[in-house]
Amino acid sequence: MDATAEQKYNLGVVRWFAVMSIVYLVVGASVGVYIASELAWPVLNFDTSYITFGRLRPLHTNAVIFAFGGCTLMATAFYSVQRTCGVRLWSDKLAWFTFWGWNLIIVSAVITLPLGLTQGKEYAELEWPIDIAIAIVWVSYTFNFVMTIATRKSSHIYVSNWFFLSMMIMITYLHVVNSLAIPVGMFSSYSIFSGVQDAMIQWWWGHNAVGFYLTAGFLGIMYYFVPKQANRPVFSYRLSVVHFWALSFGYVWLGAHHLQYTALPDWTGSLGAAISLAMIIPSWGGAINGMMTLSGAWDKLRTDYVLRFLIMSLAFYAMSTFEGPVMSIKTVNALSHYTDWTVGHVHSGALGWVAMVGCGALYHLITKCFHTEMYSTRLINIHFWCFTIGTVVYIVAMWVSGIMQGLMWRAYDEYGTLVYTFAESVEAMHPYYAMRAIGGAIFLTGAAIMLFNVLMTVRKATSEGSVQQAQAAAAGA
Amino acid sequence: MSSLAEYFSTDWGAMTTNDWVGTILTVVVFLLLVIVYVYALRPKNREKLESHKHIPLEDESTESGEKNVGS
Repeated sequence: MDATAEQKYNLGVVRWFAVMSIVYLVVGASVGVYIASELAWPVLNFDTSYITFGRLRPLHTNAVIFAFGGCTLMATAFYSVQRTCGVRLWSDKLAWFTFWGWNLIIVSAVITLPLGLTQGKEYAELEWPIDIAIAIVWVSYTFNFVMTIATRKSSHIYVSNWFFLSMMIMITYLHVVNSLAIPVGMFSSYSIFSGVQDAMIQWWWGHNAVGFYLTAGFLGIMYYFVPKQANRPVFSYRLSVVHFWALSFGYVWLGAHHLQYTALPDWTGSLGAAISLAMIIPSWGGAINGMMTLSGAWDKLRTDYVLRFLIMSLAFYAMSTFEGPVMSIKTVNALSHYTDWTVGHVHSGALGWVAMVGCGALYHLITKCFHTEMYSTRLINIHFWCFTIGTVVYIVAMWVSGIMQGLMWRAYDEYGTLVYTFAESVEAMHPYYAMRAIGGAIFLTGAAIMLFNVLMTVRKATSEGSVQQAQAAAAGA
Repeated sequence: MSSLAEYFSTDWGAMTTNDWVGTILTVVVFLLLVIVYVYALRPKNREKLESHKHIPLEDESTESGEKNVGS
């Protein structure tokens, strides 16, 4: 069957995307741990502008979201669409164009961001020439995916492909609109939006980068890889249909909840918060659907370490999608806004949900694409616990730090004077910033273990000749 | 005039084309969403929809690297 798969599908581009995604996870998490350490111990800036927090923070977010997340989404979408449609990718050449194009964009981000070349828009920092390149490569990825579905042999389009497609269409739309700018040089431009409209567009993009890129796309991963790894069909297909449409309809409304208590009209924030609360229902429906796939076979979690990643990710997904709406309520937002609580919330989603489900899926497809077992299942288990413990340490530190910040900033004495100076609140954060760096380092250790395990698996596959044998058998068939 | 009626009062004359397009689209999409929910949750459609959930498991199942299980 390995030969059949090798003959029938394009697994080469999936292999490259999969390995590169893990390399980028280690790079992105390393930069994250370093900048977390800079906040705890500012001496680590070394008075060098290229490695200050302001320059490296966008490098960290771009590396983990677009390099790790992007390569993971491309590997898993290209892999699962072929399997569920029963056909090879529509164009191998276009797939390789997507691979090289995306990686060149990542390299350009690594060069320009530490140099301070930025548009200053969150999660959209890259300058206009790179934005155009992103649009071209993203459309090539989308077009190949759509055409593969169009040439499918199955009559029905499986739900994971709906989620991937929803992400691809919406990210094209969001990226293009949010990046509209007037260039004034090769590495300088101004947004065509101004004032509060710019803020609104920014967070329409910002929250939907979370909603479609990091949620819909990774739900596509969940709906394919959880049933595959568990070897059981998803708990309820009808629930997945409801989940898909409710999520696709609801997420686009939420951006305004990032701008509570700003110049944005008050009603837009209220609307954003109301829809955010409504989104708990489909989000939890999806999480329950994924978890209940194991109904009657929970014992698999005892021995299947990859499945642990996938199911634990759903627990974090459920937690984050409850916490987010609560934080969007104006009363809670008055305390949480601009504090580390937001940072903790983002990382419970990014580390607990995105990285966990992504790594689980990558472990699954690496064994399938390299036609061999993982080098070490014990290392997968150690990786799992590093991720779980590291994520919990990180988010607990940020919860305590964030709530303390919020309370200190708004504490007044009997004369109406602020009780604490801002500097005092910064000083109070120090232990939690150190704790955050430690949590991140534990997480990074897990990522490094995964990279080692995967590279050793590739080496094992090379020495066994499993890929070559499958390819030779495919060529002879 | 109750305060509720005041709260929901709208100056229809001040609505721009953009406002109308946005309002109509929102209502249409909401109705489409209701139709999807009714379709998906209707007992009659259960068997048909649920039959699709086996798609990922119907491709080959005997490849190597089937499981990464510990001992």
